[in-house]
Amino acid sequence: MPQIFRPSADSIARVLLVSILVGPFVLIGIGYAVTQSPYITGQNITMKQPVPFSHAHHAGDLAIDCRYCHAGVEKSAFAGLPPTTTCMTCHSQLYTNEPMLAPVRQSLAERRPIHWQRVHRLPDYVYFDHSIHIAKGIGCTTCHGPVQTMPLMRQHETLTMGWCLSCHRDPTPYLRPENQVFNSDWKPAADQLKQGKKLLAHYLIDTKHLTDCSTCHR
Amino acid sequence: MSSMTSRRDAAPLSAFDIDRRAALKLLASGMALSLASCGKPPEEIVPYVDQPERVVPGIPLKFATTLDMAGYGRGVIVTSVEGRPIKVEGNPRHSASLGATDVFAEASVLSLYDPDRSKAPRGPKGIASWDAFGDALRTQMEKEKKRQGAGLRLVSGRMTSPTLLRQINALLKAFPQARWYRYEPISDDNEREGAVMAFGRPLTTLPRIGEASVALSLDDDFLGAGPRQIANGRAFISARRAENDPDRFLRLYAAEPALSLTGANADHWLAIRPELIRNLAIAISAILRGEKPNAPLPPAAQRFATVAAADLKSKTGKAIVTAGRTQPPDVHALCHTINGMLHAPIDYIEPVDPAGKHGEALHAFADDLSNNRVETLLILDRNPVYDAPHELGFNGLFPKLPFSAHLGLYDDETAAICHWHLPLSHTLESWSDLRAHDGTASIVQPLIRPLYDTRTAHQVIALISGALSPSSYDLVRETWQPQAGGDFESWWRQVLHDGVIAETRHVAVSAQPKAVDIKPAPNPTEAVLVLAPDPSIWDGRDANNAWLQECPKPLSKETWGNTLSISPRDAQQLGCQTGDVVALTRKNAKVEAVVRVDANQADSVYATTLGHGRRKAGAIGNGIGFDVYPLRAIDEPWLIGGVTIAKTGKSRDIPTTQGQFRLEGETTEFLPRVSLAALAAGLKGPPFAEEPKPTLYPPVHNDDPYAWAMVIDTAACIGCNACVIACQAENNVPVVGPDQILRSRVMHWLRVDTYTDANGGIQGFQPVPCMHCEHAPCEPVCPVAASVHDREGLNVQVYNRCIGTRFCQSNCPYKVRRFNWFGYADDEEYANLGEPPIKAQHNPDVTVRARGVMEKCTYCVQRISRARREAEKENRTIKDGEVVTACQAACPTRAISFGNLKDTGAHVNALRQHKQHYELLGHLGTRPRTTYLARLTNPNPDFDEAKS
Repeated sequence: MPQIFRPSADSIARVLLVSILVGPFVLIGIGYAVTQSPYITGQNITMKQPVPFSHAHHAGDLAIDCRYCHAGVEKSAFAGLPPTTTCMTCHSQLYTNEPMLAPVRQSLAERRPIHWQRVHRLPDYVYFDHSIHIAKGIGCTTCHGPVQTMPLMRQHETLTMGWCLSCHRDPTPYLRPENQVFNSDWKPAADQLKQGKKLLAHYLIDTKHLTDCSTCHR
Repeated sequence: MSSMTSRRDAAPLSAFDIDRRAALKLLASGMALSLASCGKPPEEIVPYVDQPERVVPGIPLKFATTLDMAGYGRGVIVTSVEGRPIKVEGNPRHSASLGATDVFAEASVLSLYDPDRSKAPRGPKGIASWDAFGDALRTQMEKEKKRQGAGLRLVSGRMTSPTLLRQINALLKAFPQARWYRYEPISDDNEREGAVMAFGRPLTTLPRIGEASVALSLDDDFLGAGPRQIANGRAFISARRAENDPDRFLRLYAAEPALSLTGANADHWLAIRPELIRNLAIAISAILRGEKPNAPLPPAAQRFATVAAADLKSKTGKAIVTAGRTQPPDVHALCHTINGMLHAPIDYIEPVDPAGKHGEALHAFADDLSNNRVETLLILDRNPVYDAPHELGFNGLFPKLPFSAHLGLYDDETAAICHWHLPLSHTLESWSDLRAHDGTASIVQPLIRPLYDTRTAHQVIALISGALSPSSYDLVRETWQPQAGGDFESWWRQVLHDGVIAETRHVAVSAQPKAVDIKPAPNPTEAVLVLAPDPSIWDGRDANNAWLQECPKPLSKETWGNTLSISPRDAQQLGCQTGDVVALTRKNAKVEAVVRVDANQADSVYATTLGHGRRKAGAIGNGIGFDVYPLRAIDEPWLIGGVTIAKTGKSRDIPTTQGQFRLEGETTEFLPRVSLAALAAGLKGPPFAEEPKPTLYPPVHNDDPYAWAMVIDTAACIGCNACVIACQAENNVPVVGPDQILRSRVMHWLRVDTYTDANGGIQGFQPVPCMHCEHAPCEPVCPVAASVHDREGLNVQVYNRCIGTRFCQSNCPYKVRRFNWFGYADDEEYANLGEPPIKAQHNPDVTVRARGVMEKCTYCVQRISRARREAEKENRTIKDGEVVTACQAACPTRAISFGNLKDTGAHVNALRQHKQHYELLGHLGTRPRTTYLARLTNPNPDFDEAKS
């Protein structure tokens, strides 16, 4: 009677045994990597916008304050996008014949708003409020990245719930003094953790409530 | 509805005859599709071209305006999000709102976005334009001009708008032969004629219920739905506060043929035939005069009369007797006489809706029609073909008219047989003005531009008068210009801001009632049909509002339609039970009605509500319930004799939200009623506060500055349902439809439970939101931690975690959790509720829940969060009264209090120390954060058979 298993069956069995042990972890790892990948999070993806607006030029070179265009950021949940008239405060004088700006001029002439593609997008069940973050010392670039260097806007961070929670659990590494919130070039101080503790007390931030579900989900 | 049912009741898969290969193909394509659809669809941000001042996207704006209720105005403050009105709240400055709302005001935002609203004019040849109508009208008006308007007839409802009155009076001056008829199916003709009999002129009675110590309602449902409900409810409860001197605590007697909300809130209630209420009034007036009563009355009624009369007499100067619209004019007149004797706290004012009886107007109009005196007919937002008595035969007369036009929100029964149907702008889209029941005038200002090609009544009247492109705004301003004095612009701004025009309330006039001679009625022999306005849809005008249709009726808890209530004795004689269909016949009219056996009803009385059985209301209202207008007569609009009733052998299920089963003794435990005397003696024993029992649960640690809690005063709840609809509007609570209700699937986050005694007598109302238990039974059973506590004591439901096991629902002793069996708000909406305009009503601060997700009351966490963020921006804590939940804001009697237990000065803390305070099912150890104050009654100790 011939042998049922050839010698190579041993190797196959060993590989199988190992993959039974390791396989689930690998699969979970791959799954996690996919959910964290730009394909899912939209991180670092630039979208086609009606006007190739450059933050690098406006916020970087010209150093226009964020609030000039995002006027609701201190009051409202939504930071706001500038109405066409805000663009035209300068562009009625500058680059008036620039083909790139044709959609802006057209918008004003036809009284039709410009349709921008949303870059930073949260799920509908997340209720993010810009104003409270600004009021409590979280600067624009902490979440939006170095926009003053971005020729085209992209999402700098993953915007996953884990990313939100990393700060909600302990905001000290990110807190800025009140006068630095809109400073795009702010760098954490050398003793940031110490400064952050002080700022936590200064802003009266109660971190215990920050991780409640109801803080962001309603 | 049909499309939804078909989708839900789809045949099982086997019926599709799929072989293995096809199934694998479908599986593969499904997998491919689901992989491909992982990416989020792109989303746009569309900023303004020119951003209006004040508008900051993301921050809601509030504007004062006025809503119309049967012609009377009620001031409201409407929240607008990015230009969309989404929520109505009361205007504290307005006397008909007092900062609160009712179901109609709350539901008006849904009507605004109703997909069935008319969107363009319809002419004799189909869809037309306003220009085409203008041309047709001009030709017609040329003819009318020649004959001074002899053929011109205007039909409207109750009219209190000063601008519209000014316009119509000017029109009638230009066309002296023209006639204007006002008709409301729910009119106050009897009250008016009674006032004429007593005072010689049609004065309106405004009882100052808040000052009364004894009140007797003779079938007057003053706490029921209607333009005065909020004001009356507030006054009624303010006179019934435990803090009051027991001698000043209002005691209410009610005598009614069928139970109303007023009866349910009365301390003593008498079921009596409506014809005999006259005898009751005669007996009381005789006793008050010191004579012996000799009107024939059943023994129970005689005793009621004796006790009530003695009580009224003992509180002279603080006693009121009121009569309802079902009662004939002489009973009203007698009431005035009695009130005169009692020096009752009542204001008499000149009528706000100018003179004229609505019944007579309708008669005259029918007369004009049948004698061919009408050439040009214009109907302003009324639906006489549906709601006028059918004996007038409008259905046959209208099509014969040379020119008829109907202005209204819907292409309804009347519009269908008019040549022209003109779409009317919703109140929230219009400039106008209105007066409240007490004469207080206020401006109607639009919250949004008309969604469709609609016009206001002002514009249409101006068109008839010959204007080319009239503007309601200019017309309204013109009316008020002379009143404002010098600086009109700043006056106007102030009036718009306040939502009320100062000093426009009608001044009370002094009036002495004459003694009236009124004959007692003989004992009636035949049965009578008693009609009443519907507590949800009034006279039928709101029939296409799904929130109102699904709003449980305060007493019977039925939804989606009406029923015919009959007494148990009559049911036995007829051999029918709840759910059986009977045929009501009177003259040529026959109506099939569903029976509901109700113990709270006089024998030989059949009672039902108007407004249902619409044929052309829209996708929501069509064919819901049965229409009793055909049985109505012009001379007997409320009490209809000569009705025969017969079984049909059919039966139908009634979609109700409560009462499927009962527990013995539940009322005493869940809704304890205590009398004033018992309260004074001190309340002991369960469910009232005891020493906390020993517990193995760990103590609740909470060092957060907030611990939210709600206290609901059941003594102050009149059962009006305003909170239910307010919650629905605020929290995007979906409508499920009658089929789902029949399966006991309802979505209201807040329900109002009624409790009955062993005999079926209503014991009171108990609004039940989530209890936010400190030891919440729903939490440990959730396998995915979707039901968790936050640090402020809120029991929160995390929708994006919920996988729909429904364990929490099973484990909730209060049954406040609601499950989305279908995508009620998410692609499987009832009827037309999935259409795009409806989405504009949604509150953007609240998630629209998907299929398979559990949901429940959140204590309006979005409002708490907003207040917290505002407070934190200012580096302070939230003040008491800063967070007002939607139900609390709506409540006419301020029965609901909400606040922070950590704030020692908070009102809720004081209430939790109150003698009447108790926890619902407190012995379970759930430590609910929502607690109650016991229902308080003030029975007359002289009464042996007090309604317990």
